[in-house]
Amino acid sequence: MAEPMISTRDLTKSYDKVHALRGVSLDVAEGTVLGLLGHNGAGKTTLVNILATLLPPSGGSAAVAGHDVLRDSRAVRGCIGLTGQFASVDEKLSGFDNLVLIGRLLGASARQARERADELLDTFDLAGAARRLCRTYSGGMRRRLDLAASLVGRPRVIFLDEPSTGLDPASRLSLWETVEALVADGTTVLLTTQYLEEAERLADIVAVLAEGSVVAAGTPTELKSQVGERRAQLSTTRRGDTVKVAEALRRAGFAAVQTPEEGTVSVPVADFEDFAQVVRAVEEAAVPVTGLTLSEPSLDDVYLSLAAKPVAAAAR
Amino acid sequence: MTVTVPTDRARSAAPVRWQPASARAQFAVLTGRSLRGLVADRRLVVLTLVQPLILLVIFSQVFGSMASPDHFPAGVSYIDYLMPAILVTSGITSAVGSGAELIRDMDNGVLTRFRSLPVGLHWILVARAVTDVLRTTAQTVLLLVCAALCFGFDPAGGAWGVIAALALSLLVIASLTWVFIAVGTWVRSARIMQSVSGLALFPLMFASSAYVPLDALPAWLRAVAVVNPVSYAVDATRALALDWPLGGDVLGAVATSLLILAVAVWAAVAGFRRPLTR
Repeated sequence: MAEPMISTRDLTKSYDKVHALRGVSLDVAEGTVLGLLGHNGAGKTTLVNILATLLPPSGGSAAVAGHDVLRDSRAVRGCIGLTGQFASVDEKLSGFDNLVLIGRLLGASARQARERADELLDTFDLAGAARRLCRTYSGGMRRRLDLAASLVGRPRVIFLDEPSTGLDPASRLSLWETVEALVADGTTVLLTTQYLEEAERLADIVAVLAEGSVVAAGTPTELKSQVGERRAQLSTTRRGDTVKVAEALRRAGFAAVQTPEEGTVSVPVADFEDFAQVVRAVEEAAVPVTGLTLSEPSLDDVYLSLAAKPVAAAAR
Repeated sequence: MTVTVPTDRARSAAPVRWQPASARAQFAVLTGRSLRGLVADRRLVVLTLVQPLILLVIFSQVFGSMASPDHFPAGVSYIDYLMPAILVTSGITSAVGSGAELIRDMDNGVLTRFRSLPVGLHWILVARAVTDVLRTTAQTVLLLVCAALCFGFDPAGGAWGVIAALALSLLVIASLTWVFIAVGTWVRSARIMQSVSGLALFPLMFASSAYVPLDALPAWLRAVAVVNPVSYAVDATRALALDWPLGGDVLGAVATSLLILAVAVWAAVAGFRRPLTR
């Protein structure tokens, strides 16, 4: 395997008595996405800050693009882009001037910096507001400008710390498309998120961080099979109907679980095919079903299943 | 445990990257940025320029009427006595503001972004200091013009005396600006910075020889005023403007300022190097 773009070994970080990271080892190959999944306080931001040279580690080592984050921090800064949890744009400058400023600090000539700024403002749908002061921007516009700012120098490695926090669904989708385009171009991405859905969509490998340690890692599919299943839940109005629905589903080969007190039946569905079969089975049974919901495994399910299977996690 | 992401995509093309910006370019770009921030809000520009003029009006009218001839040097009008002091003290407010502005940049995340770029951290501070000293220069030049035109400021030292006084006062302000930048890099909290500034501002300005001669102060306050660097600065500025015998005043003020400047720059850079843990 080629040299990884991001590499950490036994990375630790402690403040006074708090252990934010307890020995994290990761390798991320060029042009891939590592999704770092975890709740608030799991250590995600600490890890990103160490890799972005904003915070020195307490122990262990970390390298980005082959440069050690402590000994060679300046070289690391030359090839990374960082989008933190809070939009860090200069309120007293326009969007255009913010991007030009960063281009100039990265060594671009005035013309190169202006061209790059226009290019990014177009990409992020900010061209119309380019000359307005950032303090007049909406929250979503700031986040987009912040992301654009982290891309000015065409960094080889991008850190996105909970990038979709505070974005509306449309902006989130366009963020995801942007990340996919960057990765298609060969950029390496480390993304932190609290949403399994986001990690599943973008990441090649997902690592689950809890209390400063990686407790599980694998492809999103591997992780989800570890987590448990997606379930469909059907509700009926009459108790007797619940039994009929459950029987129809069992006949169709599903392990239906009924809760007559609530008038619901729940079945595991692995994919869309399963889901379609559930619908067909109910239709054939000709029982009135009043509701059908599909529940995705969430980050909570990941944590719960990891807590339930400590041996499996340790064996990985 | 080790997490390994397999390599399955090669980088399609190596895009053009820029060479890191030279130190001079970093300084110029960062200073340009701070200057633009200064003039971004027209209302603030006007208020900034007007503020020392208000000091001038208040002090010349309020204290001028009370200035007892016993304590004041003979043959010197109060406005001529006052102006060199206002040159120094009006810059103190701006020096204090320098630290506050730095903390504002920390709080809104701009400095976090700069720290993730290949930029010399010290240039961020130098840009801040240069910007604020330039602001003080604009304020004081305007102040001098107004004083000469409207308040009959016409010191014995003449134009050269005033220019020398201005230069010295700017050196003093530069050193105080760095002191407050250093405080800012260590306290890193807007509220604490505000309290520190409030605590420092009035003793610095008033427990000095700025507004009344030292002889007019009670003994204990005189003791404070004698060691206040602002007193040195004001005495020297006054000597230059009024064409009084210089004695050791100017040399002492320059030496004190340079010493404070050196210590403050060192402390500011050291404080700024500590990580911004947000």
